[in-house]
Amino acid sequence: MSNFKNRIIPTVIASCFAALTLASTSASAENGDTLKAVTDRGSLLCSGHNGSFPPFVQVTDDNKWSGYDIDYCRALAVAVLGSDDNLKVVPISWAQRFPSLQSGDVDVIIKATGWTMGRDTELGIQFSVPYFVGATNVMMPKELGSTAPETLEGGSLCANAGTSTERLAANFFKSRGIEIEMITFEKSEETREAYFAGRCDSLVGWGPNLAVTRQSAENPDDHAMMDVALALEPESAAMRQGDDNWVDIVNWMFAATWIAEANGITSANVDEHKANPADSTVEKLLGVTPGIGERLGLSDDWAYNVIKQIGNSAEIFDRNIGAGSVYKLDRGLNALWSDGGVIVPMILD
Amino acid sequence: MTDTTYHLPPQISFSQKLKNSLFATPFDFFLTLICAALFALLLYWFIDWAFISSIWRAEDEPLCKEASGACWSVIDARHRIIFFGLFPFEEHWRSTVACVVMIATIVASCVPWFWTAIRLSALWLIGFSIFYILMHGGVFGLSVITPERWGGLALTIFIFAAVSIIGMPLSIVLALGRRSKLPVIAKLFGLFIDFFRSLPLLTILFTAAVITPFVLPGWLQGDKLYRVIFGFALFFAAYQAENIRAGLQAIPLGQDEAGLTLGLKYWHRVSRIQLPQAFRNSLPSIVNQFVITFKETSIVTIVGFFEILASGSAAFGTGKWTVHYIEVYVFIGAIYFIFVFSLSRYGAYLERKLRVGHV
Repeated sequence: MSNFKNRIIPTVIASCFAALTLASTSASAENGDTLKAVTDRGSLLCSGHNGSFPPFVQVTDDNKWSGYDIDYCRALAVAVLGSDDNLKVVPISWAQRFPSLQSGDVDVIIKATGWTMGRDTELGIQFSVPYFVGATNVMMPKELGSTAPETLEGGSLCANAGTSTERLAANFFKSRGIEIEMITFEKSEETREAYFAGRCDSLVGWGPNLAVTRQSAENPDDHAMMDVALALEPESAAMRQGDDNWVDIVNWMFAATWIAEANGITSANVDEHKANPADSTVEKLLGVTPGIGERLGLSDDWAYNVIKQIGNSAEIFDRNIGAGSVYKLDRGLNALWSDGGVIVPMILD
Repeated sequence: MTDTTYHLPPQISFSQKLKNSLFATPFDFFLTLICAALFALLLYWFIDWAFISSIWRAEDEPLCKEASGACWSVIDARHRIIFFGLFPFEEHWRSTVACVVMIATIVASCVPWFWTAIRLSALWLIGFSIFYILMHGGVFGLSVITPERWGGLALTIFIFAAVSIIGMPLSIVLALGRRSKLPVIAKLFGLFIDFFRSLPLLTILFTAAVITPFVLPGWLQGDKLYRVIFGFALFFAAYQAENIRAGLQAIPLGQDEAGLTLGLKYWHRVSRIQLPQAFRNSLPSIVNQFVITFKETSIVTIVGFFEILASGSAAFGTGKWTVHYIEVYVFIGAIYFIFVFSLSRYGAYLERKLRVGHV
């Protein structure tokens, strides 16, 4: 038996090492040219969700993906392939995001993913510029009289168990010396229901989610947001480390929708702008003067196609989150800087 | 009347029985009354919620806010997502037919007439091919629909059926292998079974979906769905093998030896003497394993599949429907109930038919 042990253990260890080496080589093989892989395959693999995460990823009545993140997936597909017919949205869970990217199940993650240092440095991924900022905030009934954090002294807070919002809220109130009882639930439906049933005095949640929750109340106007946000999280697309051109493409895909908005170019009037460009930026953006495509390895009209088929950033927001959607949320910080938001388009030269 | 006569139990009428068991003493009377009242109240609440004060049609959604009952409008508007996930809308006739064929195949294979190796394999080959061709397409002018768009009830049924047809033969092989007279084979099969039984299903699924692409060469990977089904089938087979082995070990050794003296070959002894009795002996636990597997298919949502629960959350996960998640969960619960209840009723029928427990 000991002889058996002596032989079997080194064999097992050796094969584990072999597997690991194999794993790392095949992983680095994936880090090659994503653009080439996508065009060769003829389809873009983008992240979906196993269920829905309104208003970012959801399913329409006729079984199609829709949502803010899905629209940016579509925009990327249009930029790279010329149309979104060959966009494949792969349903993946939160936990599975980064391994799926590494194993090549998806080419890019556009899935309300916060840019953190740990993810950036330890997971072998690279983030795009933030395309959305979401504030973690606390909702409370207006009848409490005030929306200052101190109002909740001695009260209770409903949160989703084990989430970053729960930790944020605990730290926030502790650092301010406000005593608050945390009541946590596994599922967000339970958390929301508990708040509306009056089991807790307030509810913590992330940006648009919380706003959507507020709107599902019987009287949305009975509830207000706390006047201090707990934290602001920048959401970025994530790509595999080591494919700089692919990161550039994703960054400039976002930028194209912002530059279009800043210049008043929409899907409706893009053809007029292309015929009579107002300045050299618009000329470059719409491919009237060459350059925007070649420098990324794309065709010169990719940005024109994106704006024509998907629209600019204002249209994308409006359709999925803003006035054109059932949620009717304010654009707030996600407007361009010129409208009081934090989105700053890069310079197209 | 002498002491040696046995008395038949006195004939008691039903009402007498009822009286004896429920209203024997005033306290019993009191308890029965309270429980009956509570039960009636709950039943009334449920019926009122589900049927009387409920809203049924998708167009009537605005009425839901005032209604005290269920808002089944969400099911009317979104049932296609629950049934078929992200399957293209125009092609739903394909997934509908495919599901009907698959359910018919499952039902047919429960009929004793099909219980020969040839008939059963032919039935499943045909049923499964029709299902696959309809779902996947690519032949007979059907457009190709790749598995990442499969979902809902269709995917749940597909995973359950595929796991069963890969896992069941495998479990028989494993059970026989573990009882092999050659120590090397017996140990190896034992190690295999114990290995898969010691891992949580979630670990196996996550490994199959996420880790194997790093380790396996590209041509061996296949689609994520098939890797996950294969891992699930190994897990199922390891458990089912132990159920079958329990049935095998209950057969007296003398029967096999009698077969041996008659000059029967190994396969004859296995297929004619051992396996039929093994199935009969361990039928309750075999059916139990099928029931567990059907319910465990919902775990695949963790590795990003749109099975029926994930589709359910997609169905209520949008603007106006978010508040009506209870209706969606009740609906999905009813679907699970129909499947699992028929499975266990069928198990009970089989037990009566094979007279397990009266041997």
